[in-house]
Amino acid sequence: MRSSKSRGRFLALCLAPAVILYFIFMILPTFNVFRMSLFERGAYSPTETFVGMANFQALMKDVKFITAMQNTILLIVTVTIITFFFAIVFAAILTREKIRGQNFFRIIFYIPNILSVVVIAGIFSAIYKPENGMLNSILSFFKGETVMVLWKDQPMVIVSVIIAMVWQAIGYYMVMYMASMSAVPESLYESAGLDGAGRLTQFFQLTLPLIWTNIRTTLTFFIISTINMAFLFVKAMVAKGMADVGLSFMYAQKDAGLYGYSMAAGVVIFLFSFLLSALVNWVTKREVLEM
Amino acid sequence: MKKFLSLLLALTLALSLAACGGGNGGSDAGSTPPPADSGSSGDTQTPPPAEDVTITVAALASGYEEAYPGMWQEVCDAFTAETGIKVNLICDKNLEDVIGPSMQGGDFPDVIHLATGREKGLTEQFIKDRNIAELTDVLSMIVPGESVKVSDKIVGGFTDTSVTNPYGDGVTYLAPMFYSPCGLFYNAGLFEEKGWSVPTTWDEMWELGDKAHAEDPNMYLFTYPTTGYFDAFLYALMYSVGGADFFNNATTYAEGIWDTPEAQQCFDIIAKLASYTNPVTPAQANDQDFTQNQQLVLDNKALFMPNGTWIVGEMAEAPRADGFRWGMTALPAAEAGGNGASYCWLEQAWIPAAAPNLDAAKQFVAFLYSDAACAIFAKGGAVQPVPGLTDNLEGDNKMFYSIYDNGADAAMGNFAAYNAVAGLGTVREVFLDPVNGLVNGSISVDQWIGDVKSASDEMRANIMG
Repeated sequence: MRSSKSRGRFLALCLAPAVILYFIFMILPTFNVFRMSLFERGAYSPTETFVGMANFQALMKDVKFITAMQNTILLIVTVTIITFFFAIVFAAILTREKIRGQNFFRIIFYIPNILSVVVIAGIFSAIYKPENGMLNSILSFFKGETVMVLWKDQPMVIVSVIIAMVWQAIGYYMVMYMASMSAVPESLYESAGLDGAGRLTQFFQLTLPLIWTNIRTTLTFFIISTINMAFLFVKAMVAKGMADVGLSFMYAQKDAGLYGYSMAAGVVIFLFSFLLSALVNWVTKREVLEM
Repeated sequence: MKKFLSLLLALTLALSLAACGGGNGGSDAGSTPPPADSGSSGDTQTPPPAEDVTITVAALASGYEEAYPGMWQEVCDAFTAETGIKVNLICDKNLEDVIGPSMQGGDFPDVIHLATGREKGLTEQFIKDRNIAELTDVLSMIVPGESVKVSDKIVGGFTDTSVTNPYGDGVTYLAPMFYSPCGLFYNAGLFEEKGWSVPTTWDEMWELGDKAHAEDPNMYLFTYPTTGYFDAFLYALMYSVGGADFFNNATTYAEGIWDTPEAQQCFDIIAKLASYTNPVTPAQANDQDFTQNQQLVLDNKALFMPNGTWIVGEMAEAPRADGFRWGMTALPAAEAGGNGASYCWLEQAWIPAAAPNLDAAKQFVAFLYSDAACAIFAKGGAVQPVPGLTDNLEGDNKMFYSIYDNGADAAMGNFAAYNAVAGLGTVREVFLDPVNGLVNGSISVDQWIGDVKSASDEMRANIMG
């Protein structure tokens, strides 16, 4: 009895720092965001007026906000699908097939993930440069005439952002899947091979179901982080107003002196990401397979 | 082992808390007076006022500071030597990010040198919140160390515009600091080589554009770094087309102003200019690539771009076409025989209403106009509206600042401040950003004009003052 009590005290003591920090730096600010979305004030102004739900009503009618959310959703959907497709395929190839220089490829794919967004923006600035840019030069070489695609201009701008985001994210998720794929016992593949299952069947019937829990978790992570990453990429790479996403709208409102309004946008984005991850979690629910 | 682990945990916690507190603690630590410089300045015959006051000055490290690093520190040191008031200087390229968070926590610097028209719009937010201290008594103060009133050291007219008096009530809230004529920059060497003369009317402008493009299909009439550079352009255009009256009415969103023939002419010129713009411009009109648009002028792929005098320093290292030489001209006249116009870009210094040391802050602002301070600023190429300063300019700057002597009208002032309303964009979003859309064709001219009109109506309804 005494030991369980002291054990509990020890546990509480261990958890306390994390809980206190989490409360001060996560829970409190989040509540504050909700509170401030009901007020109107400038970011640096000492006075604030209560406006109730007026900020949210204005938000629903704001064309810029709706466009920004459309862009956000477009980026989440396309970037997620493309990234996961390539990450899983590359991971399967690098773990299941015997390829020379596996580690080399793993490192190469992983490098973009440790670069900061500013560096990535610089790299893609050289790739997307209209005149003598890497991408346009390659296209010109194959086409035999000068190609002048304006990658960072309408209508290609969103595609450019998608490419950069996929490039940045693939490596990280690929490494994650490689880890879980190599945990699948070789004997399963051997017996599947004896039963006459080809490579593709093995992939769909064995590999995919066995790493499904991993995919599910990373999917939720990825969607939430994409909301933030989309903002960073758009801000670093393209002109304001070209491909604004939800968070760029939020910051723009703050800079325009509408702190409460920007917080209202923050609340909507928060709820949106919350609901979206709940939805994804629910949709991807499968019976867990044990190895 | 357990003990060691928990000790480690506690240590990390303490460290992380200390790190978080650092933001606030830092400014306190910073404000403990550094060993005063008075020793080096020798015999201080200065009056001994305000012994233990330390003011915090936040100044944007712009191109001037880059041209002469330590410029602001030198001014602060000179101020300390003169008055005995110690200065804690914050000088940064991204000043908003440095002072913003602590100001949100209620900790304001005493003097801020940061102009309106920046992307983060910090100064505009203070104007909209009526959060800036009045400077009326500063203008009647004696400049520290001299016997002249501040108002006598400022060239007439510079404290009469909406740039310094944002509420249109004749009260000065922002001190006029560095000014620089903005205009169209071009390659003077190319014009000489080709025997072209710089257009004085827009019709000549279009003619030149057609001629140049016919000669070399890669050569376009126009480019711009980002849409933000259109503010000076738009102001000068409105001034040259409609004169001071139209300019004042437009910048105060007068009713029906955008239906006048003058406004129509402005819209027409911008729309036509969009079709003469190098098509790669919008793809590079972002913070990452705008120098590549400036490079277009250096490479003779665009003839003109709107810019400011800092461009020379900014592109000093860039490769350029043979025989390149910077030239700058005012905006062409609306019609033959008319005057061109050049916008006078003015940076402001101001005191937040919540500044802890208001009196010392006002002394500092007054000191900015002293001969000593002007001389230090001049080393960085920064020119204040103080009589006689432009006489000592050299090189490119001499040519730039002489633009008004050559017959161009000076446009000064900016769009009147209005209360921020949800859904109504900023001046830049409404008037300037759509230019990208005009060039790439994603927005029609009519749609743009319609947006300007409806936004202008709403701005008028919320105008401050």
